Amino acid sequence: MLLTTSVGSLPKPDYLMKARSQARKGETSASALRELEERATRDWIRFQEEVGMDIIVDGEQYRGDMVAYFAEQLGGFRQSELVRSYGNRYYRKPIIAGPVKRLRPITVEWWRFAQGLTSRPVKGMLTGPYTIMDWSFNEHYPSRRAATLAIAQVVREEARDLERAGAQYIQVDEPAISTRPEEMDLAIEALGVVTKGLRAQTITHICYGDFKTIGPKLHRLPVDQIDLEFANRNFELLRFFKGRRFAKAVGLGVVDVHSHRIEPVDEVIANLKKALKVFKPEQIYVDPDCGLKTRTPEEAQEKLRVVVQAARAVRESLVN
Amino acid sequence: MITTVVGSYPKVAEQGYGTGLIGARNKWQRKEWTDAQLERTCQEITRSVIQEEETAGLDLLTDGQIRWEDLVTPIARGLDGFEINGLTRWFDNNVYYRRPILHKAPRRRGPILVDDYRFATRCTRRPVKAVLPGPYTFARVSEDRHYRSERKFVLKLAELLNDEARALAQAGAPVVQFDEPALGLADANVRLALEALREATKGVKAKTAVYVYFGSLDGTLSALMRSSVDLVGVDVVSDPRTLSALKKTKITKELGLACLDARNTKLESVTELHALFDLIKKRVPLDRVTVSPNCGLEFLPHTQALAKLRQLVKAVRSYRPAT
Ligand SMILES: [Zn+2]
Repeated sequence: MLLTTSVGSLPKPDYLMKARSQARKGETSASALRELEERATRDWIRFQEEVGMDIIVDGEQYRGDMVAYFAEQLGGFRQSELVRSYGNRYYRKPIIAGPVKRLRPITVEWWRFAQGLTSRPVKGMLTGPYTIMDWSFNEHYPSRRAATLAIAQVVREEARDLERAGAQYIQVDEPAISTRPEEMDLAIEALGVVTKGLRAQTITHICYGDFKTIGPKLHRLPVDQIDLEFANRNFELLRFFKGRRFAKAVGLGVVDVHSHRIEPVDEVIANLKKALKVFKPEQIYVDPDCGLKTRTPEEAQEKLRVVVQAARAVRESLVN
Repeated sequence: MITTVVGSYPKVAEQGYGTGLIGARNKWQRKEWTDAQLERTCQEITRSVIQEEETAGLDLLTDGQIRWEDLVTPIARGLDGFEINGLTRWFDNNVYYRRPILHKAPRRRGPILVDDYRFATRCTRRPVKAVLPGPYTFARVSEDRHYRSERKFVLKLAELLNDEARALAQAGAPVVQFDEPALGLADANVRLALEALREATKGVKAKTAVYVYFGSLDGTLSALMRSSVDLVGVDVVSDPRTLSALKKTKITKELGLACLDARNTKLESVTELHALFDLIKKRVPLDRVTVSPNCGLEFLPHTQALAKLRQLVKAVRSYRPAT
């Protein structure tokens, strides 16, 4: 009960950031970059073991944008020129230019590498079909629906390969799911294609969400666990679950990933106790609100430490 | 038919005027560059954008909103009373803007966009239109901690935007346009939005326009035909219900046919655009139609944005209505 984990991404150390930008300019070889990515992954896994995380993530040291990472390795996608996402931030938005095909497994080799470093379970981490569609241009498929369902097939292949490799937890993130209320059913249908028949515990992480849209449909998401940000909404989301029987497991974000402030352990303990009035202890997984990649490595480590310490303290108080 | 853009244009162009703005903004943020240095870069890019619009053959230009981070921030910064806050999703796009928060009664210190507008007009001999956020959309994407009344907030913004619209018209803008994407939201307060628009356009000595994009205009279009503006711009791409509504509504204003998808790189064919013109011509005389992409072109990479502009002009110039 109250198993601890992370949502996915962890900050990249400075040496890796530098190497990635050099690699983009052709100043660092792919193999040299790979070596540093492995080193950073190793360090993050060792850290998670040391603080006592129950379910490990590889920290996505080798990924950039969560959609572009998959688009770059799938057939049918091409890269665009820069488009702006906000302020002075630009990115290359993938273009679906032909039929989407999985040319080879995408994340399996990294998952194997990470799982080889620890005896604790390592989560498989995928981006969901609706989000990949919504965050890409579509020149090939006649509709958004057709594109989403085609992408669902390749994400499904990837999920099955992760399971075959031994992943006990497979997380399929859909941050775009609540963008268009009228397409929410499509997003659910596509996620169902991915998770159907998997024996691994399936998880989806949702954020940036308009909760009014997604709340009433949460129970229909075809996954075992739904991971949500509670901390940056002051645990107000708990009110939504109060008095209902929620049959799925809940990933409870207990530290805010957008703030530099390190939450005191006591504050997180108090919030977890509030959550225990709404959920059963076996139902709860404890983690940060979202991926920690925008924090400094030190901030991320401290926040993860708080997550584990608080969960452990509450666990002990429940046993005694 | 007249050709135009709705407002924004890509700020960087790897195959064109370059990506200099990114570095310039970074230097300015780190305070290594002064406001004047950043402004010089913005002016150079604005000049290139206007030249591209002109070369593509556009009739009515904009300055591409190269200085704008989003539709509302430039105005919110130009008013006292607002604080620019955290990132929020821009309607149903994977694009984010900073949400303005109103803390006290807003006040306009002076003209906000007039200098930029004048600069743009010096870059071309073709007409340049001025674009402002509509008062209703401005309010919807902001947070009001002062009035705590939607009506008061929206009408106050209308009054301030009216001051700016008059100043822009005085600076020579032949068209002053208000963007009201929030009117496409399912729960839009259409009545209040139109009341505010009447306030905002009052005494503006220019042609006035409203553009609604992203959502559906099913149910709102006939009300817009009774609004105070001269031209109603309608995004017929984002939601198929809007085109059906257009077929059923009596069009009593000039029509802005916003019909190329500025949110997808796929290029429309001239044939399909001609088919749409055929359909529209039955509803409104073509000399009362202005054709454009469905929203600002900044959602597209530069190469595709420019391709859309050229296709738009090509489709309009090659159109021969069957009589
Ligand atoms: Zn998240």
